[in-house]
Amino acid sequence: MTAKQPILSVQNLHAKVEDKEILKGVNLEIFPGEVHAIMGRNGSGKSTLSYTLMGHPRYVVTEGKILFKGIDITEMTPDERARTGLALAFQYPVAIPGVSVSNFVRASVNAVRGKDVPIKEFRAELKEQMKKLGVANEFLGRYINDGFSGGEKKRLEILQLALLKPALAVLDETDSGLDIDALKTVSEGINNLSNPETAILLITHYQRILNYVEPQFVHVFQDGRIVKSGGGDLSKELEARGYDWVSQELTPSGVS
Amino acid sequence: MSESKLVNTIARERVDNLASQNGEPSWLKELRVSSWEAYLQTPMPTGRDEDWRKTEIESLDLSNLNAIDLSTKKDEKAKLPEWFETALTFFDNHSGVVAEVGQASVPAKLPAELAAKGVIFCTLKEALRDHAELIRPYLSQIESDQKFVLMNKALFNGGTFLYVPPNVEIEGPFVSLTHFTSSNGSPNGVAIFPRLIAVLGSHSKASLVNILSSEPGKENKTTLRSLANVLVEVHVAPGAKCEYLEVQRFDSNVFAVTRTHNQVEQDASVKSLTVALGGSQLKGDIATVLNAKGAESDLQGIVLGDTDEHYSFNTIQKHNAPDTSSNINFRVALKGNAQSIYQGVIEVAKIAQKTAAFQSNKNLLLGNEARADSIPKLEILADDVKCSHGATVGPVDREQVFYLMSRGLSAPAAEELIVTGFFRQILEACTIGRAKDWVYDVLAEKIHGV
Ligand SMILES: Nc1ncnc2c1ncn2[C@@H]1O[C@H](COP(=O)(O)OP(=O)(O)O)[C@@H](O)[C@H]1O
Ligand SMILES: [Mg+2]
Repeated sequence: MTAKQPILSVQNLHAKVEDKEILKGVNLEIFPGEVHAIMGRNGSGKSTLSYTLMGHPRYVVTEGKILFKGIDITEMTPDERARTGLALAFQYPVAIPGVSVSNFVRASVNAVRGKDVPIKEFRAELKEQMKKLGVANEFLGRYINDGFSGGEKKRLEILQLALLKPALAVLDETDSGLDIDALKTVSEGINNLSNPETAILLITHYQRILNYVEPQFVHVFQDGRIVKSGGGDLSKELEARGYDWVSQELTPSGVS
Repeated sequence: MSESKLVNTIARERVDNLASQNGEPSWLKELRVSSWEAYLQTPMPTGRDEDWRKTEIESLDLSNLNAIDLSTKKDEKAKLPEWFETALTFFDNHSGVVAEVGQASVPAKLPAELAAKGVIFCTLKEALRDHAELIRPYLSQIESDQKFVLMNKALFNGGTFLYVPPNVEIEGPFVSLTHFTSSNGSPNGVAIFPRLIAVLGSHSKASLVNILSSEPGKENKTTLRSLANVLVEVHVAPGAKCEYLEVQRFDSNVFAVTRTHNQVEQDASVKSLTVALGGSQLKGDIATVLNAKGAESDLQGIVLGDTDEHYSFNTIQKHNAPDTSSNINFRVALKGNAQSIYQGVIEVAKIAQKTAAFQSNKNLLLGNEARADSIPKLEILADDVKCSHGATVGPVDREQVFYLMSRGLSAPAAEELIVTGFFRQILEACTIGRAKDWVYDVLAEKIHGV
């Protein structure tokens, strides 16, 4: 037993969007050095959880709280959360025409680190990470996610996280839409994010990526809450038996 | 000559006085007088005129304005505004600078090799004195029935002249500054009538930067509204290529009415960018006339409004001949309770077959009280044309803001990045030296409200 404090502690989290309750009491604790996976069907509320963790203004917390590194961040703005060490790789990263990748990434790194990283140092770091992720140089001059393929978007998300070095990286369906080579590269990028001081929360509805990024904890998400938790093997069981098996286990016949 | 005796109001006497004071030839005086008479015949626009409906024209009291004379004295050491000195560092490859600062004009320094090629770049006053016969046809070639254009044609007394002889190609831009002041600094109940005429001879190539500005008013001082009535005429002869950048930076007590007219002949092209960054009321007309086969124009516009500024831009893409093409891309971002109206006319004459005309106007509302309207008007008489137009008005995309903030940027930093990006798509097309870098800087100043 370690006396470590959890990086993330989500307590009875309820959240609504446009007056519709989506999160219905999420409880989750993540400690340093851990990799967690949340699995669940489309529409179960996984992205809502990731947006709520990051503080999207459209998702309103109605009950419960989010502690990050022991600090209650429930009321924090997204940029404050980012500067505290939380990062989210988006399922659908938005395009921002006119804003170049290089401009933005530098502004972002400076903001999160709270100091101006010397340009030379920054470039060296950037080049190294780009090489690792197989990101071509011409990326830097392009506008953020504008006209990017699905795979390019996901690589750019991981590239940014690699530079921001968050204490907790939340990855929302980073695997979807990737071919097998891209999946391998991106998975390696995700594995590189983890070290004994940091943690990873991987959100997915396929088991596929879990062959490359191995979680110690797997949680099944259904109708806005975690309905079952287990070790790494749970994902394989889900793959073999489908989500219906969890639902049936939870719902006695005749009651729905 | 005692200046105090001069009638400075906007009146017939002023027209006569200008002619005699400047020792102008009789044909020029006649031109002024006939413009004045047409001016008198033309009713003053009102808020009920379609083109003027969002401009508070009633707030302009012409009877209380004193016209001031630009470039009455040459002054080698006239103090250029500090920001203009900075701007010049971005135009370090320029081909000459003409600056009118209040009543002083800093003499143009035209490189000897350009002068040897027959290039002329000087104040309009010098041009009328030294090159009267050359400039003469261009003073009346472009007709107009607009009240403010006629006012300028009767009363113009400052401005710049550029002449590039046929087949001469010039790399570095010509830079013209009209900086509007009165005796105590900021313009106060005064009027200026600068007129800029650029003539590009056939198969020539040149670029021109025109900066219009006024001295900022001191705080806690009531200033009377002033008028800047600006006329710009660009004549692009067959096969010539012109790139034009105009930056308007007027202070909050200036009512500005500007008219830019591009006359584009066979196989000639004009590429222009207008950047409007202030003035209390800004009414801008940009007309491009494609007069002969193969003529092309590409017009870009940037408006960044704040506080209670009013912008009203009217663009006209006029296709008078077959095989001509025009493109307009106008982007407006408004902070505070600034307002803008954009009215874009595409006119295609019956004979102008196989023409292409495109128009896009996008408006970004940053302030809760900001307001923008966009009105396209198509008058297409030919039947074999490619034509499209589109407009959007809306606030900043919240998903974009969230994305940037989730990566650590504060809300204002995120917004600034998005607004700059919104304009970048236009600015990147400007190829005049490092002009765009300077424009990024002045945009950032305005975004930060300094
Ligand atoms: N902006 C929104 N407006 C209305 N409903 C939403 C919005 N975002 C998500 N939802 C609803 O919330 C539920 C969960 O969506 P989501 O969190 O995207 O699930 P997942 O990521 O697991 O596929 C869905 O029923 C979806 O329709
Ligand atoms: Mg999702």
